[in-house]
Amino acid sequence: MKIEDLRKKLSKIDYQLIKLLDARMELVLKLRRLKKNTTEAIEEMNLAGDLQKLSQGLIDPEFYRKFYQEVLTEGKRILDSDYKLIAFQGEHGAYSEVAARVWDDSLIPIPCTEFTEIFEELEAGIYDYGIVPVENNTGGVVNKVNQLILNTKLYVVGAVELHIHHCLLAPQGCDYRELHAVYSHTQALEQCRQFLARNKLQPIPYYDTAGAAKMLAEDPPPSSAAIASKLAAELYNLEIIKENIEDFDQNITRFLVFSRQPNKEKGQKCSIVFSTAHKAGTLFRVLEVFAKRKINLTRIESLPNLQGSFAFFLDFEGDQHDSKIKEALEEAKKLTTDFRLMGCYNEKKAE
Amino acid sequence: MESLKLAARNGRERTVIKVKDVEIGKGFVVIAGPCSVESEEQMLITAQKVKEAGATMLRGGAFKPRTSPYSFQGLGLQGLKILEKASKATGLPVVTEVVDPRDVSWVCEYADVLQIGTRNMQNFALLKEVGKANKPVLLKRGMYSSLKEWLYSIEYILSEGNPNVILCERGIRTFETYTRNTLDLSAVPAMKELSHLPIIIDPSHATGKPSLIEPMSLAAVSAGADGIIVEVHYKPEEALSDKEQALTPEQFDLMMRKIRRLVAFHHQLEKEFNHHEFHE
Repeated sequence: MKIEDLRKKLSKIDYQLIKLLDARMELVLKLRRLKKNTTEAIEEMNLAGDLQKLSQGLIDPEFYRKFYQEVLTEGKRILDSDYKLIAFQGEHGAYSEVAARVWDDSLIPIPCTEFTEIFEELEAGIYDYGIVPVENNTGGVVNKVNQLILNTKLYVVGAVELHIHHCLLAPQGCDYRELHAVYSHTQALEQCRQFLARNKLQPIPYYDTAGAAKMLAEDPPPSSAAIASKLAAELYNLEIIKENIEDFDQNITRFLVFSRQPNKEKGQKCSIVFSTAHKAGTLFRVLEVFAKRKINLTRIESLPNLQGSFAFFLDFEGDQHDSKIKEALEEAKKLTTDFRLMGCYNEKKAE
Repeated sequence: MESLKLAARNGRERTVIKVKDVEIGKGFVVIAGPCSVESEEQMLITAQKVKEAGATMLRGGAFKPRTSPYSFQGLGLQGLKILEKASKATGLPVVTEVVDPRDVSWVCEYADVLQIGTRNMQNFALLKEVGKANKPVLLKRGMYSSLKEWLYSIEYILSEGNPNVILCERGIRTFETYTRNTLDLSAVPAMKELSHLPIIIDPSHATGKPSLIEPMSLAAVSAGADGIIVEVHYKPEEALSDKEQALTPEQFDLMMRKIRRLVAFHHQLEKEFNHHEFHE
């Protein structure tokens, strides 16, 4: 075995150690919310000390004791810091995490596998916030998410409009001229179709953009690259071969931030959801309520609900305490069924 | 030259090549910058300086075909990223050399014009590859090549479907050793008779001496060239390649002022004599 190969293996193990410690601390944070108090959570972590029994005898048991003492101390510091958690769907480095950081970079982003997990665990109190994509100007509505929004009692407390910029990423030190396969989510591959064709790269669908980046960092197939965010490049120590590889630069995804408590500050925007009776002109009469008060609608979306009729999502500009908005909400409530003000909040935009 | 189906003049309109807002083949373009991209600082500062002096495009090599394999070979991909950054910062389009057919598509992602260097004028695999590219090509004349051989190299690119070729006379090898090469200025009007493509000169490589760059650049204006490509470095004494022939930003600025005056003079001359081959 060559010395470079050994070095590569070593740095891969160091990388894994760091990622595992990160993941461990995230679990501690989730545990905190399920346990009644934090000391109990720490006791749980002490079990880790038993792991030294698994050692092959090469390492001094005293080292393990000191190492875990350090890990536990850091775990306790993290618990005592009262970090606020925001859940997102995907692996670390997903565009949802980019959006979460845009919304509030003091929050700790926690990855979830499914959108349902975000809603369920946020409702259960494990997280403080959850962020989900609701629409993309090229790919349309995120249907799965809107179904969940329809059935939740959580409040919308923020929104992020994110310009999606894709990067072509490859393992450090690879020869970009040898690349021929590119892993990513189908939507990202589709959005970079011309770029891939120009450079004779073969698109290979993968479950997630950041997941593809993670795979490249951990177990890269030969001559492979991934399409993911710049954040993913940083988190997985990948080389950015090319930034902004999307075929059209207007690629915007809108995210909503949910919480158990409504936003208390003054907001710029409101989101409502409602159903109407199956009669001619009912939706028109609701829209008229906003039109006659010159309230600017920014989004309208319809979705079949479980009752076999339709639910409508409506976003508009203004704060719920503005008098004309108040009047409009009162009037709209009377014209609809299952009316709910999901939240009044501020929206952030990021290039 | 019957077989030059696409490169020959044959009564064709002069080709004007648009690179962002710059039109080559119309007016006098000045492409300036360092021989090699060495660092972000070097490239960004030099780019800013040449822009202030009036350059219309940037040059800088990321892949360097050096005589010795032990000389600095260029920063490669990293160099391309720096060039793109300098281009975004100044708004000037970028010309950079490509030496390997496998790099062509990647250089197209970062640069606005692909340069084929003198040593590669007859690298037919490379010519075919840039002939398929979606970016204009700046084709330098081989240092041992006749005009006829040059025309056939052009034909290689055009016949692959890329109509946008800019020619560059950069000096040829003669018995003279005082200058790095001998600038064949007659190639400018000659190639204008033989071909419909725009032609610029490279006074830096042609002479290898800063003191000769300005006189040759002014001569190029008078010979009817469509522009020059010239090496400028913010600290020539620290350059990693061709340091003996780079102009300082101050020397470049002075030269630019003279060029502008001379271009204006020729514009007048053209009006007066209605000389169809001069620039507007």
